[in-house]
Amino acid sequence: MSLITQVLTILCSIVIALAIAPMVWLILQPYLKGWSRAERRASNLLRDILTPDQLRQLVWRGYLEVPSPSEPQRVYRVPRAKGYVQVIENGRATMRLCVQPVECLPDADIVLLHKLMIEANEETYLQKANKYICID
Amino acid sequence: MGILRVMSRRGDDRVTWDKQKALMGESDTLAAVREAERIFAQERAKGATAFKVETGKPIERIEQFDVTAEQIVMVPRVVGG
Repeated sequence: MSLITQVLTILCSIVIALAIAPMVWLILQPYLKGWSRAERRASNLLRDILTPDQLRQLVWRGYLEVPSPSEPQRVYRVPRAKGYVQVIENGRATMRLCVQPVECLPDADIVLLHKLMIEANEETYLQKANKYICID
Repeated sequence: MGILRVMSRRGDDRVTWDKQKALMGESDTLAAVREAERIFAQERAKGATAFKVETGKPIERIEQFDVTAEQIVMVPRVVGG
């Protein structure tokens, strides 16, 4: 094999590796985040406060349903990862809410933040949220 | 035990104290309570909201530090995203 062919092979390998690296990072990132000390601590806090049923729902369905303390037919669906909180009324999604802390927090803390705010401070939570109406 | 947990980018920072010893006025415990009160006031000044979380009871928002609380969780100020 000539020297030029070898150099080209190495260059091609580097280009392929550079192209694949961001995809690999995107796939592994959620798992790597779970290993961080902050995420572990936040997960422990969440486990301390959620009931076993709520924890199971969060793990298996990817969201936590928090019933509204003021409107019996309303449920807030809080996603496990970052994203909109869905408002479900009489079984139908009526609104998406965007509320975020001013400080960067681990994902598990954000789930808990929504739960605490909805259960004990719903009025302020709704006042602060940016609301996006769902239209069928 | 009483515990104050403050959510942060590091997970949560916490201060614990023995509720019984605090009520009896034990000096080390009172120091821990004072530290928890100081952190509580500092976070409230920054706009944080405090919640009293107790087993088997509804979550309650509190404005003042409660030494008898089983657990106080403080969340940073929130804004519409």
